[in-house]
Amino acid sequence: MNPLIRRGIRERLRPKNLVASGLFSIIACATLYLASFFDGMQQVIPANESESGLPELISMPVNGAREAFTVLLVLQGFFLMFLGTGRVASVTAEEKEAGLLDYQRMTPMNPFSKILGYLFGLPAREYFMFLLTLPFLLHCMVVGKIPLLNLLQLYAVFFCSVILYHLTAHVIGLVVPKPRAASWVARLAVLGLYVFLPVLGQAGISFLSFLTILPTYFGKIVPHLLAEGTNILGPFERQVVAFWQEIPFFTYQVSPTTFTFVMQGLILLALFATAYRKWRLDSLPAFSKPMGIGLFGILQILLLGSLWPFFSQGEASGLLGQSLQLDPTKVGLPDQLKNDSLPSISMIVVQSTFFLLNLASLLLLINVCCPDPHRQLKGRQRSGRLGMNRVPVLADEAPGGLFVGALVCISTVVYAVLHLLAVSSETVQSVAPSAQSVLLPGLVLLFTALALRAAREQWFNLGFWGFVGLLWLTPMLACLVLAVADFLGNSQLMLNIASLSPLTFFPQLMVFLAPNIFPEPNPLINLSTSIKIGVITSALLATFLSITLFRTLKK
Amino acid sequence: MIEVKGLKLHYGDFVALNQLTFSVNPGSIYGLIGPNGAGKTSAIKAIATLLEPTFGDILVEGISALHQPERVRGVLGYMPDFPPIYENLKVWEFCDLFAQAYGLSGEEKQAKVLQSLHATGLKEQMHDLCKTLSRGMRQRALLAKTLVHDPSVLLLDEPAANLDPKSRIDLRNILKKLAGEGKTILISSHILSEIEDTCDSLGFMRDGSMALSGTLDEISRQKDRAVHLKIHLLEPYPALREVISKIPSLSQFEETATCKTKFRVSLDGGEKEATQALAKLVETGIPVSEFICQKPRVEELFLELESASKERGES
Repeated sequence: MNPLIRRGIRERLRPKNLVASGLFSIIACATLYLASFFDGMQQVIPANESESGLPELISMPVNGAREAFTVLLVLQGFFLMFLGTGRVASVTAEEKEAGLLDYQRMTPMNPFSKILGYLFGLPAREYFMFLLTLPFLLHCMVVGKIPLLNLLQLYAVFFCSVILYHLTAHVIGLVVPKPRAASWVARLAVLGLYVFLPVLGQAGISFLSFLTILPTYFGKIVPHLLAEGTNILGPFERQVVAFWQEIPFFTYQVSPTTFTFVMQGLILLALFATAYRKWRLDSLPAFSKPMGIGLFGILQILLLGSLWPFFSQGEASGLLGQSLQLDPTKVGLPDQLKNDSLPSISMIVVQSTFFLLNLASLLLLINVCCPDPHRQLKGRQRSGRLGMNRVPVLADEAPGGLFVGALVCISTVVYAVLHLLAVSSETVQSVAPSAQSVLLPGLVLLFTALALRAAREQWFNLGFWGFVGLLWLTPMLACLVLAVADFLGNSQLMLNIASLSPLTFFPQLMVFLAPNIFPEPNPLINLSTSIKIGVITSALLATFLSITLFRTLKK
Repeated sequence: MIEVKGLKLHYGDFVALNQLTFSVNPGSIYGLIGPNGAGKTSAIKAIATLLEPTFGDILVEGISALHQPERVRGVLGYMPDFPPIYENLKVWEFCDLFAQAYGLSGEEKQAKVLQSLHATGLKEQMHDLCKTLSRGMRQRALLAKTLVHDPSVLLLDEPAANLDPKSRIDLRNILKKLAGEGKTILISSHILSEIEDTCDSLGFMRDGSMALSGTLDEISRQKDRAVHLKIHLLEPYPALREVISKIPSLSQFEETATCKTKFRVSLDGGEKEATQALAKLVETGIPVSEFICQKPRVEELFLELESASKERGES
């Protein structure tokens, strides 16, 4: 057995721990499960349907078990996903600070074995508590007549998600310097990555929805949890179940379970690679440059695959996608909303989400992979010592110019493909067939990335994040103040200021480039002015920061 | 064997180690001394492959710690300063964890765990939880964990800190025994008397570089520091000054008491010159009752070095 798993069992499952946690688990599970079981079991037969002619209360254990299933699943999730995740993050960070991680780092065990040891050893007690809920699950399956195959699919995805959350927590514990913060940062990261980010899946980027167990739960389990005798889903459940039945990806249809495994597998791979690097040497950045490019490439393929049906046939996925479909007659929208601008609005929403995701990924990768002044100095001194003229381009210490260029190229090419797909499509009419529609966003993305890279490489964390906060968030706050003061009177000024932040510039640009949505001249606002301000500012900023970086490097 | 060659380590602009060079031979105990911030812990961590040096080379048992850190880790035993411990494990479980992590199994693992617990005097406490141990006992438990895979090179950062005198003596004896078994031991410490009693060779670090390195005698010579001889006579011998003036290795004759029987002279040279001087005195018929070669104390050398570097800094 892995010594670290054995250590977890020894530390956390001594007899007194077994008794205490076991009792807690059984009592909590029995209370919640039985309460919902008995509640769901009671069924009232209306007077007109009963033999006696009076309303009757009958007992239907099958319905009780089906109702109790979700409660049981939530409790199991609480044990493993909430308690377990916090435990992995806080202990990893505590041991890192105390130096215990260094002891383990020095042992000749393979880093993968160490990662597995931490993943399964630290939450040993939580796994034990989960184990004690299994008899209830068995009861639920037998009495509720839930198909075993569907349950197996759900629990395979459940465990994949648990490992994903625990690995996220472990990596955060390895990266976040303060142990007290790590536990909560990990929980917040898990919430953000696997609860809030999937919401973007509803904006047409379906792959983001598959970071949780929800697609499999709704797609495979919910149809089997209906009360016996009723086969009607509520309107929300019907939409959700339909959404998660088959996933359009490029021109294929993929099952939600397979898609969830692929998505979570890719993230697990990235997290494993990060943890591996951190276990080898704490001072290494989380990703190497080739790894950063690889991850970005995978993200772009997923974006391309998810958006392919939308750009080629105008078929949006997700709840928002459905309400904003290019063919409004397909959904039951109110008549007043069915107008000609709807296809363009949905296109703008999807395009803006595409660029916002790209911006977020660029920010993360530039922050991790571009060397700060310390690392660059180390690289230059080492290469000088080794008699090399320059630091190898893909080394962690190498300047990130080419890296950033590669990322922007990949992103622009993907957008160009989507654009061409829309232009060549017969059903999609909401994209202007001009080169400007691709070149302008690509150029601004390049300027933004170059400015970020220059800031990262010449300033330390405070300077870098200060710069990002100032440029990306302050214009939005200023717009908020102006909007409250006088929305109509300040509208042009607000647009001009908003164009300074990449977060608000791209939606503006998408509106500007969309045909027939915002015909100019407009009496209130002039979008071309704000777009010019945004492009010129980003170009100037990138040039200025690159020059100052060049001067710093020369010194 | 540890060989550190031209090691440089930066924390950003700050140079933690600057062209650090020294070596530790098998079977010897090498002590790193220096003020706070001199770079002792950084040097030990770099050798332990926990810090990545900017450049330079570190060879442990002939293996490069920079290029093959995984191989080097297998032969190293490392004990950090402020050593932490797994509070909820029993002492034997703590050692067992690391024995298994180092690839030991079955009876060999059990034997090594017991051996390391025995060597550190923890056999009676082996079933106690680590959190119930006293500070000295915890230090021993860590040493036991460090020794469990029988490493040939030991890196001990402040091993005697927080230990009571009895525990220090025990630790010293354990280390001497290990050195006697051929292990290479590198220690850093603030406790100069401890270093003096335990180590064969010393390295004085200052601002990330090695100011002086070698055995105490070698360092004294490097510092151009005379060794003093303490000579006590049974009875006064009036011609002593004259006899001493004729021995070339002796100088600076001075009386240390009014009774005319206690003297101190400077010796130019080492043990060989001291032996020759004693032979000459006895041969002349001088009634020597005590002849002591007074080596410089580590504390004196340290203070001398400190004040010299302070003067350099001021000038």
